[in-house]
Amino acid sequence: MINVLWLQGGACSGNTMSFLNAEEPTVVELVTDFGINILWHPSIGLEIGEQVSDLLKDCISKKIQLDILVFEGSIVQGPNGKGTMNYFADRPMMNWVKELSEVAQFTVAIGDCATWGGIPAVPPNPSESTGMQFLKKDKGGFLGADYKSQAGLPVINIPGCPAHPDWITQILVGIATGRAKDILLDDYHRPKTFFTDFVQAGCPNVNNFAQKVDGHFGKRGGCLFYEVGCRGPMTHASCNRILWNRQSSKTRANHPCLGCTEPGFPHHDLQKGSVFNTMKYLGVFPQDVPTGQSKLLYYARAGWEKVLPTNKELTVTSK
Amino acid sequence: MESKELNISPVGRVEGDLDVKVYMEGGVVTRAHTQAAMFRGFEKIMQGKDPQSGLIVTPRICGICGGSHLYCASSALDTAWKTQLSPNALLLRAIGQATETIQSIPRWFYAIFATDMANKKFASKPLYQEVVKRFAAYVGTSFQKGVTASGRPVEVYALFGGQWPHSSYMVPGGVMCAPTLKDITRAHAIMNQFRNDWLEPVWLGCSIERYLQVKSWDDLMAWVDENESQRNSDLGLFIRASLEFGLDTFGQGVGKYLAFGTYLHKDRYNRPTIEARNDALISAGGFYDGENYHALDHMQVSEHVQHTWFKDHAPLHPWEEPIPTPVETSTILTETDFDGKYSWSKSPRYMEHAAEAGPLSRVIMAANPANLEHQNRDPLFGDIMKEKGPSVFTRTLARMHEAPRIYEYINEWLGQIDLDAEFYIKPEERDGKGWGATEAARGALAHWIEIKNGVIENYQVVAPTTWNVGPNDGEGKPGPIEAALEGTEIEDAHDPVEVGMVARSFDSCLVCTVHAHDAKDEKELARFKL
Ligand code: SF4
Ligand code: SF4
Repeated sequence: MINVLWLQGGACSGNTMSFLNAEEPTVVELVTDFGINILWHPSIGLEIGEQVSDLLKDCISKKIQLDILVFEGSIVQGPNGKGTMNYFADRPMMNWVKELSEVAQFTVAIGDCATWGGIPAVPPNPSESTGMQFLKKDKGGFLGADYKSQAGLPVINIPGCPAHPDWITQILVGIATGRAKDILLDDYHRPKTFFTDFVQAGCPNVNNFAQKVDGHFGKRGGCLFYEVGCRGPMTHASCNRILWNRQSSKTRANHPCLGCTEPGFPHHDLQKGSVFNTMKYLGVFPQDVPTGQSKLLYYARAGWEKVLPTNKELTVTSK
Repeated sequence: MESKELNISPVGRVEGDLDVKVYMEGGVVTRAHTQAAMFRGFEKIMQGKDPQSGLIVTPRICGICGGSHLYCASSALDTAWKTQLSPNALLLRAIGQATETIQSIPRWFYAIFATDMANKKFASKPLYQEVVKRFAAYVGTSFQKGVTASGRPVEVYALFGGQWPHSSYMVPGGVMCAPTLKDITRAHAIMNQFRNDWLEPVWLGCSIERYLQVKSWDDLMAWVDENESQRNSDLGLFIRASLEFGLDTFGQGVGKYLAFGTYLHKDRYNRPTIEARNDALISAGGFYDGENYHALDHMQVSEHVQHTWFKDHAPLHPWEEPIPTPVETSTILTETDFDGKYSWSKSPRYMEHAAEAGPLSRVIMAANPANLEHQNRDPLFGDIMKEKGPSVFTRTLARMHEAPRIYEYINEWLGQIDLDAEFYIKPEERDGKGWGATEAARGALAHWIEIKNGVIENYQVVAPTTWNVGPNDGEGKPGPIEAALEGTEIEDAHDPVEVGMVARSFDSCLVCTVHAHDAKDEKELARFKL
């Protein structure tokens, strides 16, 4: 049996809502088939009243073994580092997190707020929010760059706004079935099994991307990279392979990828002109180019390809 | 494994913490204070940013009604930018809003509300065994069916928005998506499954058409007794058990109701303006003061911050309000001075009144005889309010009553989408003020925006939870939940399930903690997570 404690800091509950949509396994099966014992969760916990703080104290004193600490939401440190903008069980939440993370076998951050600070940490960051072990791209965060859980791993980051239910349940199942050693992490501590490929892999618009054919809102066909700011080529995530709600993904519904699994989300800090619009140099060249390509090379090639005759008929998608 | 550990309920009680301090005398609540215990400052974050920031930021205010925030954010820009909306755009936005709301109905009922009906307080009642069998958390026979079915409607949302929660597919000028034939046919099929798996066989015990013939309290009682299948449906059981358990006798509230209304008619709001909105609504908005209906006028909204941990200002309309500046003195409930500031929530008022937001307000608006032909006209709750008045039962019935109607709307709107016509008309950005509003599953939600020099100058959000859980206003008048708790009789001070039921009947999107106190010696008697 694996004891899981799930807490929420500066959160919107989106990751919990997403988690509840899980299918393989469902949240119920997670408990019944995989021996995951949810010690407490703000929405799927029991009515245990002041037992909540007793339970947290028992985890801290190791009376109860805390196998996995799951945290959703940013770590609220305001005002002035006191953390009193987010009370929980009569203390600043951040104080609980500090002590619990020291005893947890595994510490898992779920969603962008817990991983990189997310939207609450967008300047001017009124709640002094940070992620568990990162603030945006900078390692450190609340627990510090050197933090390791009892099992010797740093914080396992499952980003996304929200995280896809499969990304959450599979990591929990991985730990529960003794496969923690197979959870390989990238530089941002994301499990490589979900975050190696780009969102673009599996996107129905890739032909149009290659042909440099523009997509627009309210019209199928065309790639959303050139005008409306799709971040699919720069974003590591499996959204077009493991579909959302079993049905779709953003780019399948003609919605530009917002790059929500990358530490920069929301990108360009929401500055003027950056929302649903491709930021450009000199009005022509996209500021962000597909990851792994040099900007100069990309511009040169793109300029060349734009003038090549392309089979634009291809892009007309049937209704 | 013990059954205790299996007690998992997919609940929407989330997003921060709500603490409630309750004072009791002779087993009756004399005073109650609500305290919201988390601050993130989203309005401050949006100031000075891209005008469209609200489309990405505000759904993340609440992951449970993120789609409703998106609806408001895009509508606020529509009015500020004077966009044009095609019938398809209005239909797809309404479908998104309706699917999010209808998923919340079974999820809320089984996971949050009905589990309390299995509390031992009711153990001596004849229907108790049946209630436990069906509604007990996690193991109840209807619990799993309802909770599983609740995942269906948001699959339809995902077909158009890419995912739920947290899509941004509604944008000023329309929607991003351009559905294909297969999206529409799939959506129909998914909704049919929702009806066939839960809505008709489990919840109603009859066809949607039969249920919608119920027009009065007497009709409803006759409907319950009409046949075994209706009597024994979850709705039939809920009604019979509620009356037997006395859920119709407490949790009255402030007796004033506010709804902003929702679902804009596809042909009546193609040039969106704030003034044209009332008549274009399908689910009507308005303010009901307990006797009279008043047409909705957003200029009647003001917010008080006297008891909020923000820098003081006079009660102001959201367009005039400053971006909130936190004060440094937030304290935990046990150390709080309730004459001073005690919550992160503001106290919104309509015509200076505290008003209840939520499904009960919506069904009261549906009973307004002045509603137009294309609007939802449903006299049922006008009659129920006369016969029974507000209560925990009435509020919950109102929530559940909406499911069949919303189901019909979704199918009707899917049928009206014209695959050859436009979904998006590119607007021109401009400076100005805008207002966008809707009904989230849990009530009136609105965004006010001001754009200056091409960036956001001011953004103010008033959520249903703000209406319901807000603290006292400047004149010391309590908020709706504070008021609804007063007078509640508590049988066992160490298990005040009544308090929980009152708070939950409002379905605030906060985790609530109730601290029960003795009114005389201020001693804390008990504390409960709800
Ligand atoms: S840029 Fe976006 S829309 Fe274009 S192919 Fe890549 S993921 Fe798809
Ligand atoms: S498509 Fe992009 S924005 Fe959407 S969930 Fe995936 S990574 Fe996030």
